[in-house]
Amino acid sequence: MTRILTSICVVAFAASIAAQSTPVHRSYDIEFLGAPLADPVLQHAKETFVLFGCAYCHGLNLVSRGEATDLMHSALVGRDENGNRIGPLLRAGIPQTAKLSPMPQFSDLSDQQIAAIVTWIHYARQQGRYQELTATPVRAGDATAGKAYFERSCSMCHAVDRDLSGIGRKFEVSALRAAMLDPKGLKAERSFTAARLHDTKLASAQQRHQALLENYAPEEVANLVAYLASVR
Amino acid sequence: MTLTRRGFGKVLLAGVSGFAAPRSAREAFAQTHPPNRSLINGVQFGLQPFCYHDLAMTRENRGALIRRLVRNGMGMVELHATWVEPRFNDPGVSAAAARDSLRAWRLSPPAGYYRGIRKELDDAGIAVFTYYVNFDDSYTDAEIDATFEGAKILGARGCVGSFGLAVSRRLVPFPGRHGMFIGLHNHDNLSDPDAYASEASMVTGLSMSPDFKMMLDTRHFTAADGDCVGFLERHHDRIAGMHVGDRRKHNGRSAPFGEGDAPIIELLRMVRDNRWPIVALLEFEHGTLRPEVEEVDLMFDYCKRAVA
Repeated sequence: MTRILTSICVVAFAASIAAQSTPVHRSYDIEFLGAPLADPVLQHAKETFVLFGCAYCHGLNLVSRGEATDLMHSALVGRDENGNRIGPLLRAGIPQTAKLSPMPQFSDLSDQQIAAIVTWIHYARQQGRYQELTATPVRAGDATAGKAYFERSCSMCHAVDRDLSGIGRKFEVSALRAAMLDPKGLKAERSFTAARLHDTKLASAQQRHQALLENYAPEEVANLVAYLASVR
Repeated sequence: MTLTRRGFGKVLLAGVSGFAAPRSAREAFAQTHPPNRSLINGVQFGLQPFCYHDLAMTRENRGALIRRLVRNGMGMVELHATWVEPRFNDPGVSAAAARDSLRAWRLSPPAGYYRGIRKELDDAGIAVFTYYVNFDDSYTDAEIDATFEGAKILGARGCVGSFGLAVSRRLVPFPGRHGMFIGLHNHDNLSDPDAYASEASMVTGLSMSPDFKMMLDTRHFTAADGDCVGFLERHHDRIAGMHVGDRRKHNGRSAPFGEGDAPIIELLRMVRDNRWPIVALLEFEHGTLRPEVEEVDLMFDYCKRAVA
């Protein structure tokens, strides 16, 4: 009897170990969601956007369905900085609307969850706008209008007699446009090294270029390229 | 009289099928339409395929839709017209021209077109409960009649759509002459006086015609702070079906079943225990990282446990 009980105990223990070591199956719709992103912060943002149902109406990559607002081209999203406009709207919803179904409110979400949703909206919009702008053939722009745009939107950080001196000689038009839409120097991931945790210079430069990218009109890009090409 | 499950299924389907039909027609229907695979403990379940939000609602994807429905154990569906009709909005075609082409197609569909689709569905063991079509002012009377005719061939008992009180008034004469019903689908826009959102607006709509029935959307009614249980209690004899899903109150967000404020378990048990011929169509808009077929399985399991 003792031998039988011992055997049962051994089998039960082995079964429990086996159960513990069995990998948990997490089903992930890779066809719809795409392969996980290398940046875990962005991947988390994407998953948060999906899990709270935003993708259902606005589209995972901001190609909206039905009557949902087109976030890819929304002026409000274009003006948003760190969720200062999207955040309050998410919390309150839009109960008064002419649409069939009002935008729901998400008042139960944490600040982190709201921030993650905002992160994904901006990231997806930047990807989408970049694709739209680069799909547009390079065309001749108005250098005068480009200069006015430069002075209005770029001159707080750049100057054609300083860091951009002679830039029109150094780059072809197509390279200028590529560098403007996707500046390589701003691709660095945010550092969590204590000494660089608050590297506001890089962070603000990234944010500024991303905001421009989200709002460029094709003719503004053409004008700006025409102006920079004339700087020799 | 003791009613067996199979017998009750026939009664249920007969009741659903023949709101305006004579008794003999109901019985005949019950004999030719056996209970299908998603009749669970006397509650007829089905699916509103919006749930498959990764699958574009086109007639080209209808085969994939049918396979998914079978995979999910569904024997009944609310079929949106876009799964059936061709699209004419090709690049370069104006919206008005596309609309005219669609109207012309509806008035003269290819011979046997709807019958062919009915066969696809019959072969897979899927019954069309309702045909979802958003009637609006652009529909001519002949087009509305043609839409009902097509829906009837597909086996639908009624046409459901997202329209308000004004369009409903115009639709009054149509369902009766086709032996079908119009399903009023509520949303949650309480700021629009034309919308079906409050109980009062739905009662106003139902009062227009005995051929009008509710397609009570539990998600939207919950978000509009409606009392789903009370509505079912008071108006069950005018409810053809429910869009069963979950949301939070006060215009709250969609949520997985059981995580919002919609009383799904109570509603399904009321249908079960009272033997009401009300079809429960699963529909959700909450997000998931899982493939949609798995998510439908999970939500369906929740409902099955509710009526077990």
